[in-house]
Amino acid sequence: MSRIVAIHSFRGGTGKSNTAANVASLLAADGRRVGVVDLDILSPGIHVLFGLDQSGMGHTLNTYLWGKCELTEAAHDVTPAQLNGGGRIWLVPSSVQPHDIARVIHDGYDVAMLNDGFRALIKDLALDVLILDTHPGLNEETLLSLALSHTLAIVLRPDHQDYEGTQVTVTIARKLKVPNILLVVNKTPEVFDSDEVRERVATTYDCPVAAVLPHSDDLMVLSSSGIFSLRYPAHPMTERYRQIAAALMR
Amino acid sequence: MTELRGKVLVVDDDPINRRLLQRSLEREGLTVEAAGDGGVALERLTESRFDIVVLDILMPQVDGFEVLATMKADPKLRRIPVVVISGLDEMDSVVRCIELGADDFLAKPFDPVLLRARIGAGLARKRLDDLEAEYIEQVGIVAEAAAAVEDGRFEGAMLGEVAGRSDALGRLARVFTRMAHQVEQREQRLQREVGALRIEIDQARAAQKVAEITESDYFRRLQSKVHDLRMTASDID
Repeated sequence: MSRIVAIHSFRGGTGKSNTAANVASLLAADGRRVGVVDLDILSPGIHVLFGLDQSGMGHTLNTYLWGKCELTEAAHDVTPAQLNGGGRIWLVPSSVQPHDIARVIHDGYDVAMLNDGFRALIKDLALDVLILDTHPGLNEETLLSLALSHTLAIVLRPDHQDYEGTQVTVTIARKLKVPNILLVVNKTPEVFDSDEVRERVATTYDCPVAAVLPHSDDLMVLSSSGIFSLRYPAHPMTERYRQIAAALMR
Repeated sequence: MTELRGKVLVVDDDPINRRLLQRSLEREGLTVEAAGDGGVALERLTESRFDIVVLDILMPQVDGFEVLATMKADPKLRRIPVVVISGLDEMDSVVRCIELGADDFLAKPFDPVLLRARIGAGLARKRLDDLEAEYIEQVGIVAEAAAAVEDGRFEGAMLGEVAGRSDALGRLARVFTRMAHQVEQREQRLQREVGALRIEIDQARAAQKVAEITESDYFRRLQSKVHDLRMTASDID
């Protein structure tokens, strides 16, 4: 059956969107039909990784939340040219227009609409998996995303603030009975032993660690343009993204 | 002729001989102390550092044999060269002294040229001996420093003296000190970073944040209908 996967981090800057984009691409490379929704309404960004130009693009998540279109109408086919195995990626972007963002902050929206939208999207596009790129923190739409998700991947950096935030998120996700919770440790300093990081983090949260991804300036440069795992399929980093993709579908 | 340098202990019970020897050695540029008996000589040897001993054999109380035997049994005195003074009719005694560890002998009456040559040779031997002993000692310091690195108690100053040498051992000590310093710095940096890997969570504060969320009406409503919200296989057809 189709599944909803939330990719979340308690704080910004963890590499959450990058992880979501890479995992979506690898799942599509395996022939899956993948939907991605940018729920980071206040600071959208994942569309850049998929090369979607927002000028005059038409409908966005915002348009749907204001009742002006169906969510499926806001889904843009962003399947990368490299994919030729039948897999597809549709992205529902959030608007980058300042007045749209301001309106969300000012007026809010009916969070409950998200649930109906997601179900319609999954059905209309016959999605195998719907990936929710959530807003950092635990606001109402993120809580709803957790309540809808079959799998939650929490992306964290190995630092004190992320450790505490992850503890909060894991506790909340368990209360919302998310069936599959896993952790992705990102931006790990290269001097760390990744097996040790994996073990300590897994033990601390009693939760599987899907992958430990190293931080390096080279990777930052390479991953700033396009989808890293499609451009560098043989890179060890791509192997780690594959581990995450596999864990999300487990 | 170059001047000899070093500190000599002249041991002879005959005051005339003693003074004669002292004066001719001082003329060669040496620092000389004299003792009239073997017992006094052994006392001085333990009190002060000498480079060579000129030793008469026949003395009334503690004789030359005993002085030699005592010196050779003492690790601190063993390496000081001893030149034995003897009459021409005392060859048996000279042989015995050499067997006991004396380095050379000098027949009475002294020939000044021969005296100078024998003392010079003894001092040269002593100097080489000292250098070798110092070298071995400093190699030991480097080996000890290596053990200290392994045990994590190395300090930069440990090799200070050896590092001051201008030879290959000095270079080894300098390179070793520098590398040990680099390794130590790297270890400290690693330890700082591993410290960051320690996962310490303020459980009370985390629980407080969780409570702020779970006590909201929104969360309670969400939690109560979570079973209906999450799609199941029957939702998709």
